[in-house]
Amino acid sequence: MSYFFQLVVSGIVVGSIYALSALGFVLIYKSSRVLNIAHGQFIASGAFITYALTVWANIPIYISFPASMLATFFLAMSVERVFLRRLIGEPIISVIMVTIGLMSILDGLIYLTPFGAENFSFPPFLPTTPIGFAGVSISWTQLVGVVTTFSLIACFTWFFKKSTVGISMRAVSDDQLAAMSIGISVPRVFGLAWAMAGLSAAAAGGVIGNITGLNFDTLHAFGIVVFPVVILGGLDSILGAVVAGIIMGLIQQFASGYLDGHWGLSGTGEVMPYIVLLVILLFKPHGLFGIHEIERV
Amino acid sequence: MSANRWLATGNYFTSYREEQRIFFTSLDRTAMALFILGLFLWPFFIDVGNKYMLVIDNILIAVIAVMGLNLVTGFAGLISIGHAAFVGVGAYTIASFARVFGENHFLLSHAWPVMILAAGAMGAFFGAIVGLPALRLKHLYLAIATLSFQMIFEWTMKFMDFFNQGQTIAVGRVFWLTGEVSRSAHYIFWYYAILVLIVLVGFAVRNLLRTRYGRCLIAVRDNDRAADAMGMHPGLTKVYAFALAGFLAGVAGALHAYLYRGVGVESFTLHHSINYLAMAIVGGLGTLPGSFMGPLAIKMLDMQVEQLSEWASSHLAFAANLATALKPLSFGLVIVLFLMFEPRGIANWWRIARSYVKLWPFRY
Repeated sequence: MSYFFQLVVSGIVVGSIYALSALGFVLIYKSSRVLNIAHGQFIASGAFITYALTVWANIPIYISFPASMLATFFLAMSVERVFLRRLIGEPIISVIMVTIGLMSILDGLIYLTPFGAENFSFPPFLPTTPIGFAGVSISWTQLVGVVTTFSLIACFTWFFKKSTVGISMRAVSDDQLAAMSIGISVPRVFGLAWAMAGLSAAAAGGVIGNITGLNFDTLHAFGIVVFPVVILGGLDSILGAVVAGIIMGLIQQFASGYLDGHWGLSGTGEVMPYIVLLVILLFKPHGLFGIHEIERV
Repeated sequence: MSANRWLATGNYFTSYREEQRIFFTSLDRTAMALFILGLFLWPFFIDVGNKYMLVIDNILIAVIAVMGLNLVTGFAGLISIGHAAFVGVGAYTIASFARVFGENHFLLSHAWPVMILAAGAMGAFFGAIVGLPALRLKHLYLAIATLSFQMIFEWTMKFMDFFNQGQTIAVGRVFWLTGEVSRSAHYIFWYYAILVLIVLVGFAVRNLLRTRYGRCLIAVRDNDRAADAMGMHPGLTKVYAFALAGFLAGVAGALHAYLYRGVGVESFTLHHSINYLAMAIVGGLGTLPGSFMGPLAIKMLDMQVEQLSEWASSHLAFAANLATALKPLSFGLVIVLFLMFEPRGIANWWRIARSYVKLWPFRY
């Protein structure tokens, strides 16, 4: 039984990271209908900037973490300004391909730095003995990661519910023309959505980097794993991203905990989210919380 | 009928039938015939060696695959991020046959055209299955459904013993009328085999787009509700577009298996799917000439960049990182620049150049 609870705990840890990664993804989709395939690269660059500031520049992590979030905030904003702003109104395939191109470019830029080839790990700044409770253990980094994730998600929720900027962003995602007519600058909202996504990507990168270590392949794989999560939750729902993130984390942990090693299976954790995704798409084509669009000729 | 049958400087169509012809003037027809003849004859005069022949064969295989992708993504407007998986299905059809019956089985070495068709049929089958969600899904949700097919394919190949866990499965040499195709003639033999297939497939696709089934695809892309109201079946059309793309991909995969005499999962990853998409876009989505120009351009770029990075890593000691970074950097830049400045691809340059020559000395 404690094995089961151990899986639940690690599922929630993984799931909350998924939720945080998916959040940035949903932010961009919600406001500008762009599917950002380069999200994993933003996560990776956030993690690398945090590492560079903490270890190479010797800045304490509680300052370098927000600083890297600020850096990716501006990085994502300038990416939107330079590449995506021209493509407003172009067909979806062009926009998707531009983000694929961006992914390649960011990959290339990261390969230029030492992070492309080598593995790094953060110096431990928390107690290394895990917390044990009734046979279930969770390490301090994981605990702090989960707490950080949920407090960030709470901040984002507050931002969208209460602040003027957040409300104007929701207005744009609801109806661009109506938002324009009451004086909201739609391009600026697009830029801001990208910037916020960059910010949450850096946060996710920092948390992942602390838990699993810095390896470029693992980090940018998060940009792909996030797809099943956002589809399960519905592409345009923040609540959906959180719920689906946790569900996917649990599914993945249970799959690799109970299926691997039986019937000659291995690595099921990698593939299970996609199988679940396909099944869900057949029954609920717009995910759990996605808005069903009404189309007219 | 226009008075000048060699050069038409404008549209003189008096019936829909005339507008639907493959070649508008006899000059077009002659030029195409000479071009195809040239493609068949040049290896007799120029010897490029096995290394470059392999590159050329690779480009031709990519042309077949991209033609399929162009049908589903360019003409039917359904984004597929799993095309390499369909190519892989074709290749693994050959590989599993080789694994069950031995790599030098009679059917595999003598009846290879049948095997290639069978691989195409397998690709079409999987294409139709993956296309099934298209009955309900649209746009991005569908794109991600194809992405998950890609991931599931990679996992299956990597973890199943039957597929040698993604390691290479050998495929034997083939026989031709003159006996076994020898090592030195291997690449030139497959050049001709693939070329014949491309000419067939190219005309088949061109003809398909003239029939109601091809025009159906375009109607569904432009507005599927309107197409529904006009009496087409958008769901079926989408499934059938995926099946067609799967067929061409399967054929390309079988050719890949025969050309390399082996199949490994590392040639059919997500990275390759993205590569095919890039080829289709750089060539020009929704155009037939684009399916030829895109693979040519991207593969040439790849080759140049590879040489440049080899040179960089051997001459500049500090640039070891630069060599690995060059490929993704240039690839990404090409895609982004094309989409920003020439979203209609190289095929559009070709169109502009052609109409300039045709109308000369007038501007329009």
